[in-house]
Amino acid sequence: MFSEMFSYAFMIRATIAIILISPLFGMVGTMIVQKRMAYFSDALGHSALTGIAAGVIMGIANTTISMIIFGICFALLLNYISRKGLSSSDTLISVFASCATALGLAILSKGGSFSNYSAILVGDILSITGSEIIQLIILFTVILVFWCFSINRLTAISIHSTLAKSRSISVRVMEDAFAVLIALLVMLSIKWVGILLINALLILPAASSRNISENFREYTYFSIIFSLFSGIVGLFVSYFTDMATGPMIVIIASVIYFATYVYGKDR
Amino acid sequence: MKKNKYIFVLLLLISISVVCTCGTFFYVKFNNGSNASAASGGKEDEFVIMTSCNPVYIATLNVVGDTDGVTVSNLSQPTTGCLHDYTLTTEDMKNLSSADVLVVNGGGMEGYLDDVVEAYPELTIIDTFEYVEDRVELPEVEDHEHEADEHSQEKSAAQEPNDFHRTVEDEHEGHHHEENSHIWMDSELFAYQVQAISEGLCEADADHADIYKENSTEYIGVLSNYVDKSDLESLQGANVAVLHAAFVYTAGSLDANVVAVMDLDEERQVSAGEVSDFIETIKEKDVKLVFAEYDYGNAMGKLIMEQTDAKVVYLETLVHGSYGVDDYLTTMNENYARIANVVE
Repeated sequence: MFSEMFSYAFMIRATIAIILISPLFGMVGTMIVQKRMAYFSDALGHSALTGIAAGVIMGIANTTISMIIFGICFALLLNYISRKGLSSSDTLISVFASCATALGLAILSKGGSFSNYSAILVGDILSITGSEIIQLIILFTVILVFWCFSINRLTAISIHSTLAKSRSISVRVMEDAFAVLIALLVMLSIKWVGILLINALLILPAASSRNISENFREYTYFSIIFSLFSGIVGLFVSYFTDMATGPMIVIIASVIYFATYVYGKDR
Repeated sequence: MKKNKYIFVLLLLISISVVCTCGTFFYVKFNNGSNASAASGGKEDEFVIMTSCNPVYIATLNVVGDTDGVTVSNLSQPTTGCLHDYTLTTEDMKNLSSADVLVVNGGGMEGYLDDVVEAYPELTIIDTFEYVEDRVELPEVEDHEHEADEHSQEKSAAQEPNDFHRTVEDEHEGHHHEENSHIWMDSELFAYQVQAISEGLCEADADHADIYKENSTEYIGVLSNYVDKSDLESLQGANVAVLHAAFVYTAGSLDANVVAVMDLDEERQVSAGEVSDFIETIKEKDVKLVFAEYDYGNAMGKLIMEQTDAKVVYLETLVHGSYGVDDYLTTMNENYARIANVVE
């Protein structure tokens, strides 16, 4: 059964992609949940549409590039305005996200051409190509290196930013760097996961892990395990049942969340 | 406590795996029976042809006929809504890896085509739109520069019915793609598609070339003899409007002059300005007939009938169907009969 599955090049590529992306989701997700940035990453996902629209307007053939540039600018701008503290951050993010989504939809739907881009709403991991896997490997390395060097500083900031500042940690730089990292991860994987579900994959494993972990190490490891497990099982189930991969992964991740929630509640 | 937690996680993951495996196993078992006929590439020595949508599937079925050792199956499932944004399923990907040839409509109709080309560089792709485009001048949907009188001049100079394609006045504000790729809606262009498939298959499968040639000639003959437009001669030169880009070709096959196009599908959001422009054009150009697809054009059709004197005829685009060999002829004749009913 499995030998037949791996006789197809597209399944090998999809499996490699899942093995590369899902640990990243698990890892980055822990910090997103810890820093209460779930809404931020969701807004970033939605802004992908505007990134594509910007690319279309500027005539950039490869919309991934415009998506990444727009995502980074969007993330940095959000951070900048949030720091000004004129309004609560969830309101600000909501305003930005709605505005970006509306702008993207308005431009892309001009003349009814939105259906060309609607595939990005659900994503399609099966169509991933060799060169895109290389992109993911580079992303994997970048995030891993960043994580190894900055995890302690990021954790310190997430616990108490004033305390982190007193320890001569540059809070602003670290926050911006992390926002850029989320933008990169979201924009590079959105084509395979889909706008509607990308946040679920970022949040669910970390949230499940948070339900049962007692320290940060456990929190990260469980999150990576849950993410990788849901990714691989979701891909296999979707292969045999002929259903979309992204939703299947999210269903499994949700089951894990509910189970850990029940277990964690009784502790 | 800590130990308990690890055991819990382990048990949780194992139980999810078991449930998923059992669920998938039974799902596959129960579905295998119904899908058995659709599976392709069963025998290794078979020549497997995949097609991308109903019209090219019917054309390919007719070209291949009963040839032994050749299988034809269609990628898109019958329930597919819009072809433009169809994404391939795992079943499609499996079928494609064992296919020898993929016959596509082309012209931007199959949004996933680039991915397929990249993923299966060895697969021979027969692009019927490219073939037709090289031989017949087709309308560009986003072309706004031509004026109506320019078109009418071209029209009068045109000798062949196919030349109508240059005369389409297009008020459509941009489409899914630059070209209008619903060429199968004109039986003359569909005949070119049949020819494209036949030539492509002769090259890819030289062993059966004679059969393909013979079948395609026969089918092209059937198309020219049995597509019945005899009651619709009064529409020659008449102004019509369409609510789906596919019907530009239907109008063209009748030699009618398309003066307004609004391409409606499930994701189309029309602006108020577009609707008023469309209705204005219908009134100005004295359009008596509007072609629409029922699913997406029904609401707009009612509005047009309410606001203007034009009658709306609901036609089939052939994207969905019973996937039978004679489906094309039946549907085309049904479409023409519906138009004839309203014209009378």
